[in-house]
Amino acid sequence: MSAFADLEPYVEAFKARPEAAEPAWLARRREGAIRRFSELGWPSRKQEAWRFTDLRPLQRVSFPPAAGACRASAADVSPWRYPAAGHRLVLVDGAFAPELSVIGDLPKGAWLASAAETLRRRPDLLEPALRETDTIGAQPFVALNAALFADGFVLALEPGVALDRTIEIIHLGRAAERSSQLRNLIQLGAGSRATLIETYAGEGAYWTNAVGVVAVGAGAALRHAKVQDEGAAAIHLAHNRVELGRDARYESFVLSLGARLSRHDVHARFDGEGAACGLFGATLLRGEREGTIASVVDHAAPGCVTREYFKTVASDRAHGVFLGTIGVRPQAQRTDANQLSKNLLLGRRAAIDTKPELEILADDVKCSHGATVGDLDDAALFYLESRGIPVVEARRMLIEAFAAEVIERIEDDVELRAHLGRHLARWLAGGAG
Amino acid sequence: MLEIRNLHARIADGREILKGIDLAVAAGEVHAIMGPNGSGKSTLAGVLSGRPGYEVTEGSVTYLGRDLLALGPDERARAGVFLAFQYPVEIPGVNNMYFLRAALNSVRRARGEADLDAGQFLKAVRAKLKLLEIGEDLLQRGVNVGFSGGEKKRNEIFQMAMLEPRLAILDETDSGLDIDALRMVARGINALRGPERSIVMITHYQRLLEHVVPDRVHVLSGGRIVKSGGKELALELELTGYGAYGDAA
Ligand SMILES: Nc1ncnc2c1ncn2[C@@H]1O[C@H](COP(=O)(O)OP(=O)(O)OP(=O)(O)O)[C@@H](O)[C@H]1O
Ligand SMILES: [Mg+2]
Repeated sequence: MSAFADLEPYVEAFKARPEAAEPAWLARRREGAIRRFSELGWPSRKQEAWRFTDLRPLQRVSFPPAAGACRASAADVSPWRYPAAGHRLVLVDGAFAPELSVIGDLPKGAWLASAAETLRRRPDLLEPALRETDTIGAQPFVALNAALFADGFVLALEPGVALDRTIEIIHLGRAAERSSQLRNLIQLGAGSRATLIETYAGEGAYWTNAVGVVAVGAGAALRHAKVQDEGAAAIHLAHNRVELGRDARYESFVLSLGARLSRHDVHARFDGEGAACGLFGATLLRGEREGTIASVVDHAAPGCVTREYFKTVASDRAHGVFLGTIGVRPQAQRTDANQLSKNLLLGRRAAIDTKPELEILADDVKCSHGATVGDLDDAALFYLESRGIPVVEARRMLIEAFAAEVIERIEDDVELRAHLGRHLARWLAGGAG
Repeated sequence: MLEIRNLHARIADGREILKGIDLAVAAGEVHAIMGPNGSGKSTLAGVLSGRPGYEVTEGSVTYLGRDLLALGPDERARAGVFLAFQYPVEIPGVNNMYFLRAALNSVRRARGEADLDAGQFLKAVRAKLKLLEIGEDLLQRGVNVGFSGGEKKRNEIFQMAMLEPRLAILDETDSGLDIDALRMVARGINALRGPERSIVMITHYQRLLEHVVPDRVHVLSGGRIVKSGGKELALELELTGYGAYGDAA
């Protein structure tokens, strides 16, 4: 095994895939995608978007796709369940686990199923999720995912369909030195509405590589939450591509707590007027963990609103990264965008890199951005201590308050707020920040 | 209860602020400390409560027979020392109720008492809120967040009433209070008075001392206690000012 940049195991894994009864268009796209992956190779730190990310944990070992040998029980799933969920899809090592999943009553015009099942029964629905496998810039992990994915989830709502109950997707990683290549699709027709929470957890040194393709149609609204609490030795890479139609609403909340190496990329594009996109997240890192949030918002239509608020807490020797770009094209007049990156650096050996960026090509816009890196407020800490609260607990309270501010941005969903709050508190109880 | 001997302390820039404080407060006593701005009153309160940023260069502080200066601020609080801040700190995101419960349970555990459950806690809170006429809604906010100046001061005394300290150090708790609030705060302080408790009140005004009558009054000037007397000293100061004690530095 070479030290890095060894793509061969993945190309081999592609060739060695079992013969699947897949549509011809998919086979063609997979071929194209593996070629693209081979051309691109691993991202290099010379590329701006990957400058701060140390991919060595991913390159030291190869992670062929998990063969689905590991199983999980209901007890493995239960700590991760969202109590208010109305539908639950569980995937283990990249494959749908029907015995752990419960899909409740769905209204007419709603499709919710695993990607593999969708491919069997409604390949037409999955097709858009693979249309752009190798064209979204230089994204080797997206290309690799297109070539190798076996499963994922698909939510498709026809125009006007509103799902009242939250959908929950739980992915558990179990197989060491294996990867789960997940391809997820969320497609909301005009005027439809849904809330979805993805949870990633597991045990061992596995790699989750998830790609989400999200289309929010005209006047539709999606609230998209994610809890990333992968095992301490795991690697988590996720890339979500979001397209917003006219007057669409998209809101995401990403709570990143786990994994040795994690990265969440979101690329959102406004295609119609009057849409709004809110990207919120908190990343908490301890030990030697490394976590990146990378967002790109492309204002390609006029009169759209972006609100971005990301927070990172890094303690011990952890390394947190925020990369945020908001681009405003010449036609995107009346854009209203702001982006804020706030960071808490705890300890001399921890590090945070934050790089907010605006690229504005229109003149009638309201755009702002900001970034701060600081320590806990000494005066607040002393105040808490002066009331008898032990210093470890006082620090925990302040870190919790810092991170929870992002969760507070979830409007009108007390249960979701409480759920993310519980995950945060659990993480904090697991050690000092 | 508290015995301060020849206490010297300096701040980060090396400037000595406390230049040999001697003060003994017996159990059950209420002492008032008065003195001009910048004379070191808050510094003394800070050193006693363990606020970071001060270096004690000489002297000792004994509290209930223990070396107070050897304890961390949280340990002092759990040992029964309470500081009402001259400038209470706003802590966004930390809910007042949650904070208070964490504080109370920490202090109770140190006293060998069991944690209060949610019901008992709420009951205790309501009783003390009433004493200080604080609305329950204030407790749903972040600690001191959006409180008016007077509300912050009342909240300090409310916390004191909840934690029931042995030694309370009140740093200008009367400043910025209207007449009614002053009366409530005084009521809170008097309610705490008892043979087992001591109170050190830092104040600029005779006003508070009319409601909470001190056993001793001290003048702190230039980092030293330059005069001590009975409650009549406060009245005298009100008339003459600190001129006579001016530059003890
Ligand atoms: N942390 C600090 N950093 C810098 N200077 C300080 C600090 N603490 C106290 N000082 C200085 O020490 C001196 C005494 O301050 P202190 O706050 O103790 O006065 P005080 O008697 O409480 O005054 P006041 O009546 O205005 O509240 C002042 O000159 C003040 O500026
Ligand atoms: Mg003062």
